Amino acid sequence: MDTSTALEKAAAILQPWALATATPEPNRLDVVIERGSLIPAVKALVKARWGFFSALTGLDQPPSGDGEPVREGCVEVLYHFCSAAAVVTLRVSVPYSDAKIDSICEVIPSATLYERELIEMFGVECTGTPNTERLLLSDDWPEGVYPLRKSFTGFQQAEGQEANHGSAA
Amino acid sequence: MEAQRKFIVPIGPQHPALKEPGHFQFSVEGEIVTGATVRLGYVHRGIEKGAEARNWTQNLYLFERICGICSHVHATALALGAERLAGVEAPPRAQAIRTLMSELERIHSHMLWLGVAAHEGGFETLFMYSWRDREIVMDLLESLSGNRVNYSVNLIGGVKFDVTEKHHDEILKGIEILEERTKHYLKVVTTDRTFLARTRGVGLMTLQQAELFGAVGPTARASGVARDVRIDAPYEAYPQFPVRLVTDDGGDLLARFKVRTRELFESYRLIREILNHMPPGELTTRVPRRIPAGETISRVEAPRGELFYFIKSNGSEKPERIKVRTPSLCNWASVTQVAIGHKLADMPMILSGIDPCFSCNDRMVTINRGSSSQVWTWEELRRYGIEYYRQR
Amino acid sequence: MDGQAGSPWQQALDKVRDWARINSPWAIHYNSGSCNGCDIEIMATLTPRYDLERFGVKLQGSPRHADILIVTGPVTRLSRERLLRIYDQMPNPKFVIACGSCGLSGGAFRGCYNIVGDISEVIPVSVYIPGCPPRPEAIIYGVVQLLESLKRRNAPAVNLPRQEGAPA
Ligand code: SF4
Repeated sequence: MDTSTALEKAAAILQPWALATATPEPNRLDVVIERGSLIPAVKALVKARWGFFSALTGLDQPPSGDGEPVREGCVEVLYHFCSAAAVVTLRVSVPYSDAKIDSICEVIPSATLYERELIEMFGVECTGTPNTERLLLSDDWPEGVYPLRKSFTGFQQAEGQEANHGSAA
Repeated sequence: MEAQRKFIVPIGPQHPALKEPGHFQFSVEGEIVTGATVRLGYVHRGIEKGAEARNWTQNLYLFERICGICSHVHATALALGAERLAGVEAPPRAQAIRTLMSELERIHSHMLWLGVAAHEGGFETLFMYSWRDREIVMDLLESLSGNRVNYSVNLIGGVKFDVTEKHHDEILKGIEILEERTKHYLKVVTTDRTFLARTRGVGLMTLQQAELFGAVGPTARASGVARDVRIDAPYEAYPQFPVRLVTDDGGDLLARFKVRTRELFESYRLIREILNHMPPGELTTRVPRRIPAGETISRVEAPRGELFYFIKSNGSEKPERIKVRTPSLCNWASVTQVAIGHKLADMPMILSGIDPCFSCNDRMVTINRGSSSQVWTWEELRRYGIEYYRQR
Repeated sequence: MDGQAGSPWQQALDKVRDWARINSPWAIHYNSGSCNGCDIEIMATLTPRYDLERFGVKLQGSPRHADILIVTGPVTRLSRERLLRIYDQMPNPKFVIACGSCGLSGGAFRGCYNIVGDISEVIPVSVYIPGCPPRPEAIIYGVVQLLESLKRRNAPAVNLPRQEGAPA
């Protein structure tokens, strides 16, 4: 199966849930989906045996606009599936105010480590993920500080100040 | 049983790649492992965040230092991604040199692993032999790049040094010796009785499991998964110098030994081919200082499996986000599943079977037995394993 | 130990102990957050080409038996406590070798959020070996320097008790 047919097939599989699709590079397909359709979409890919789950990326998008925020800050969660050279990315946005997403561990058990990472680094709750213990950060890491959010700028300032800074997001 | 026996085995902060150093926690009943979880982060340095504060060139330096063993592939993945975003491509000669370095690095990494895994099993002789022979490839790497580890081969848009006639002969000579030695190793790992007793049927992972747990690289290929980025999505000079897939259906430790050893032969073949068909030409091309905005995914095959980079640029001098998914992270997930049902004595071998870049005998192992807690070193766990088998 | 300090018996004993320590120091290696580049080079020094063991240096697993602590890498938040624990478990006198530019200054990782700092910010260091990573020869040189200075009894050794809570 060459790359373009693989992508076409993936597009067909994901079509029922797709809000928007894009092909940023010839070997890639980005599919934007609703939070609620994540599990069915992942299930469909797995059932069709389309590639394998390769990685999970969090992308922080801080509130935009000066003064009055035009768009609420959100975390974009990217689920990358690879099949040979083809890469399909499911893009799900979760707003800061309700940073929750369903865990895909029931479908793909190996996602647990990635989800633990997402929880720690971006403060996105993965509902139903089997293990929420700290994975990477130290045990004394302050609650509510998510290092990969853009608002986190390091511990140069006093710790307490920083904690507020992070959780304000 | 009220007093649950829990062995907490922090494989002391010991894995180079990004955040691999694991702290394993084994629950055991008698001798049999019933559960395993992993806690990483001892070597988590916050590189992904650090990347956002450095410019592209500085990042090349930083990302090479994610892992001292597979440093070249990290820098390559970043350079390839940045080049793709900038819409340039490194000249063919530069690509060939990158590929050459990747393969040399694979040799050094596999030999390192062979030694370490043998050491975990108590086969000191093989450890010393393979590390002695590994020095040959270290010398080659050094004569090419000037450093034994962290070679700094890549620039965005090319490579830093050329391969001269002198290097050419040197490498061929080195490879020849190594090939002879590798034949010997393959014979040892496949025929030595004590060795087979520790590896055959141990740490079995079926094809289905390997796919389900998302294993990558030689670990997956030893379970029959035909997956290799060099073949699936060739990058660098791999389109011109195709790789032959090495797999094994065994799924056990023996198969992992076999796959890695046989991959060494494949690397020797590739290196010869590259050297004999080295494309002429420039080493670098011009790349803008600011990388145009965009997102890209860059995948390369590290010695341990698929390395996945997601790179987002916002058009400034610094990247917006770089996500690194290292191969060992995938393999940790699989090993925690595979460990269940095995003897504690087999753990050192099973863990090192996935090649988590363990250095050596210096890891701390805390063992909590019921309420009492004692510190074991990894060394003691290893001894325990060796003794266990010696008594049988 | 019986015999007061300064008594001939004690002096003789000290001499024997120094002699033994210099001729057969036991080392423990700890990775406090390195990229493993340094660690594999330390391993390489133990293998046939370089063979650190000819100086009597033995790398072994337990801090309780160790005279020298070889640390690689910058200190991460998570490993800081463990580093301190290992250091505290080692019997006196103890010597620390910081290996690699990360251990010296934080190296490439300085400024990353999960880095506490370099090794000397956490425990006192006797010998610094620069390089990224230091060559095995450099590591051997560093160890020999330490042994030499022990011989001369003017070790750069810092056997100070760690100040509680000083570096964070
Ligand atoms: S000094 Fe260099 S080789 Fe050593 S741990 Fe640091 S980055 Fe790695």
